[in-house]
Amino acid sequence: MSTVLILTPVIIGSWPAITAAVAGAAAALGFVTKQAVEGMVSQNQRVEAKQEVEVELQQSEVVATQMKAGQEIVLSKGNVEIRVRRDERGRCVVCAAGKGLTKVELKQIAEQFAQRVTQCFVYDKVMRELKAKNFNMVNEEVMADQSIRIHVRRFVE
Amino acid sequence: MAQHEVEIRIGKDGQVKVHVKGAKGKACLEYAQWLTQVIGQVKDRQLTSEYYEPEAKSRINLHQDLTDK
Repeated sequence: MSTVLILTPVIIGSWPAITAAVAGAAAALGFVTKQAVEGMVSQNQRVEAKQEVEVELQQSEVVATQMKAGQEIVLSKGNVEIRVRRDERGRCVVCAAGKGLTKVELKQIAEQFAQRVTQCFVYDKVMRELKAKNFNMVNEEVMADQSIRIHVRRFVE
Repeated sequence: MAQHEVEIRIGKDGQVKVHVKGAKGKACLEYAQWLTQVIGQVKDRQLTSEYYEPEAKSRINLHQDLTDK
């Protein structure tokens, strides 16, 4: 053993990078992409939901250079609709809405989705960096607790 | 030829645990700094006995590899 680090991820990425992570999270949690919306959707176009909860990805910043104003991703699963967008401060925001669910339940869904987006974003970034540094993959697996374990090796002279 | 291993565990909540094995001294810190730049902020760090072992000559090459991008 040498060093053990516990890191809190910082999510700074372009809209395409966030979109890729959102797609990964959606696939993992069984959500289906409804549409990529350009421009704000009017209230009457939204799911007629009695409850709506919004959570923010901790320490996130969406670089808006490749993004149109108000652009967002809409996903659904049963009665639940999730919208992912960039807010005015540049943060990545996950909004969950649905019928027949309490705000607490919707908040749990939104937080779970936001965490999974973070996991996918970190995974993509780490794999790119490891490849760039010529690490050899020893093993990669999804553990029972849904964490992803990546084991790499490199030889140095 | 030295063998350096890195084990990265990305939790379902996005928290990341990194375990660097085989790298000694400053080479070990270079891995830590690089991974911190890639992932985010350090919440906790533990240096183990191997960190304090004499550093191998490999550190210079490692440094060049990690900073040259």
